[in-house]
Amino acid sequence: MDPAEVEFLAENQMVSIVPNFNFERIYLISGDVGPFRAGLPVQVPIWMATNLRQRQKCRIIAPDWMNTEKLEQVKEEESQSRFFTKMPSEHYMVEGHLLLGAASEDIPHADEIRTILKDIWDMRMSKLRSSVDAFIKIGGTHAKLDHLTAMEINSIRPLLPHALDELYKLQKIVRIISI
Amino acid sequence: MENADDVALSDEEPITAQKVLQTLQEVWLNEKFSPELLQHQSDLVDCILDQMQQMEENLQKLKKNDFRVVIHRMELDRIRYIVTDYLRIRLNKIETYVIHVLEQDVSRSTEDAFLSPPELKFAKEFLAHMEDHFRLIALRHMPSNVQDFDKAKMVVIPNISSHVFLRAKQSITGVVIEGDVENREEEVDLEENSQHIMQYKPIADYLKTGAVQLI
Amino acid sequence: MNFGSLSHYLSIEDLFATQERLPCKFVVPVHRLGFLDPSSENEDIAVGTTVELPYWLAQSLCSRRCNIVKVEIPKIYKEAYREILKADACVVDLHKFGLFFYEFGAYLSRLEHRDSTEIGSVLVQTFKERFRQVMDWAHNSGTDPAVTQRLDSLERALFREGHQTRAQLDAWLSEGAGQITAAEMVINHKKRKLAVLDDFC
Repeated sequence: MDPAEVEFLAENQMVSIVPNFNFERIYLISGDVGPFRAGLPVQVPIWMATNLRQRQKCRIIAPDWMNTEKLEQVKEEESQSRFFTKMPSEHYMVEGHLLLGAASEDIPHADEIRTILKDIWDMRMSKLRSSVDAFIKIGGTHAKLDHLTAMEINSIRPLLPHALDELYKLQKIVRIISI
Repeated sequence: MENADDVALSDEEPITAQKVLQTLQEVWLNEKFSPELLQHQSDLVDCILDQMQQMEENLQKLKKNDFRVVIHRMELDRIRYIVTDYLRIRLNKIETYVIHVLEQDVSRSTEDAFLSPPELKFAKEFLAHMEDHFRLIALRHMPSNVQDFDKAKMVVIPNISSHVFLRAKQSITGVVIEGDVENREEEVDLEENSQHIMQYKPIADYLKTGAVQLI
Repeated sequence: MNFGSLSHYLSIEDLFATQERLPCKFVVPVHRLGFLDPSSENEDIAVGTTVELPYWLAQSLCSRRCNIVKVEIPKIYKEAYREILKADACVVDLHKFGLFFYEFGAYLSRLEHRDSTEIGSVLVQTFKERFRQVMDWAHNSGTDPAVTQRLDSLERALFREGHQTRAQLDAWLSEGAGQITAAEMVINHKKRKLAVLDDFC
């Protein structure tokens, strides 16, 4: 899957905005949004939030977890753990990317947040590579991947599944011969 | 467009358009990541297309500069992407596995068919064209004893032993995974909401009942 | 699009892999096929003659039903070479061993030969050992493309996939994915329509 498609999925996540206009409720196929009252926070999907922000019709409120204090804590936990820790959002990297890209003025310490997110991402990618290698080395057939986010899973596709497919074929031959 | 209509899907109880869209997105991802062609979901697709059609008509009634127009158009484009990508993935699989999918559907009743009626028509035509093409460019120039278009030999079969990523939507106990080199069979339990990588084969039936989602 | 189909009649890789040659010793005389042995002028093949035949042919000549040749294992799958792979698979230029090292090896080990099991397990072991290297090369944007020349075709395919994923991901991380673009066919179709319109002007 293309990273753009993972981003597409993440854009369905809800985020709070503060609109600078008034408008009645909008009946989208994917669910209702609004009503919009100038100055009052309201939840909308990210795809809509970034569009409204580009048209200067709102300000985006950073999700609870998108602040330096919380993220430093997440980073600390990730570095202390041998395993993947639970991320504050299923799409933390994409949300960071989209919201900081569209509205860095709305989010306090945007640059620092960007850096910490990248640190967390890099740490997890390196863990991922090691665990993929270990998994192949033991010739594993099943692995639990809890807490891996969609973009992270996508980063080892199709390489990992295909490597396992090939390994399976080779191992099967050995098994058939030795019977 | 003051109300989000409840829509009826076949004779089941009415469900919201929102739910239909959500299901379609899951169906799309399952089709994208599963090695084999899954059962068609024409009811779902038709239902969403109706919704989109209705929305398009409603948008015609709005003034061009109405605030809602841009938003609704964006949403329509997003849904259209899912629908077209879904149908395109299916066509791609049908082309790749055409002999196999046609053979499989012969033994199924109309209600259980994996190909939708238009897909069935497409598959048959595709295979006929393939055969014509092979005859025209190669087979007719061959010695007469090897001029046959042997479907059994040409068949391409999806590799259901290939590995997929999945999330368990409910707990499943005792999924049996084929053995490794030492031929040890492994039995695993999938907790609700846990994520895994493993072969498609042992979870294929759970995918069809909706107990797992490919990711 | 690759859905990971099984090897099949029209698979090019499979055709190539089964075209690799292996030494075959004739155990019965064969009339009128002397031309298979380029070093001899004889019309017939005599018992004991060794000729290199492609796998697809060799395989059908050495079955239990039709015992015409005895296959020998090509040297890269023999013990001396297997020992090299066991010592350190990562330093080996696998491409020099054979472009279809794994695929051909897999076919070979299916022939009933006393080394079959050994060959099979060396394939598995070699693949496991070298995977990290293939993955790291694929994931490192600074990788010298020349390194892939040391990989066999299966490893190359994995490298290419990994490399492409990484390039897409890096592009996304550095500037965002931008818009999901229409398939080329759609764009071309629009262009064609425009071109048709142009003709009328």
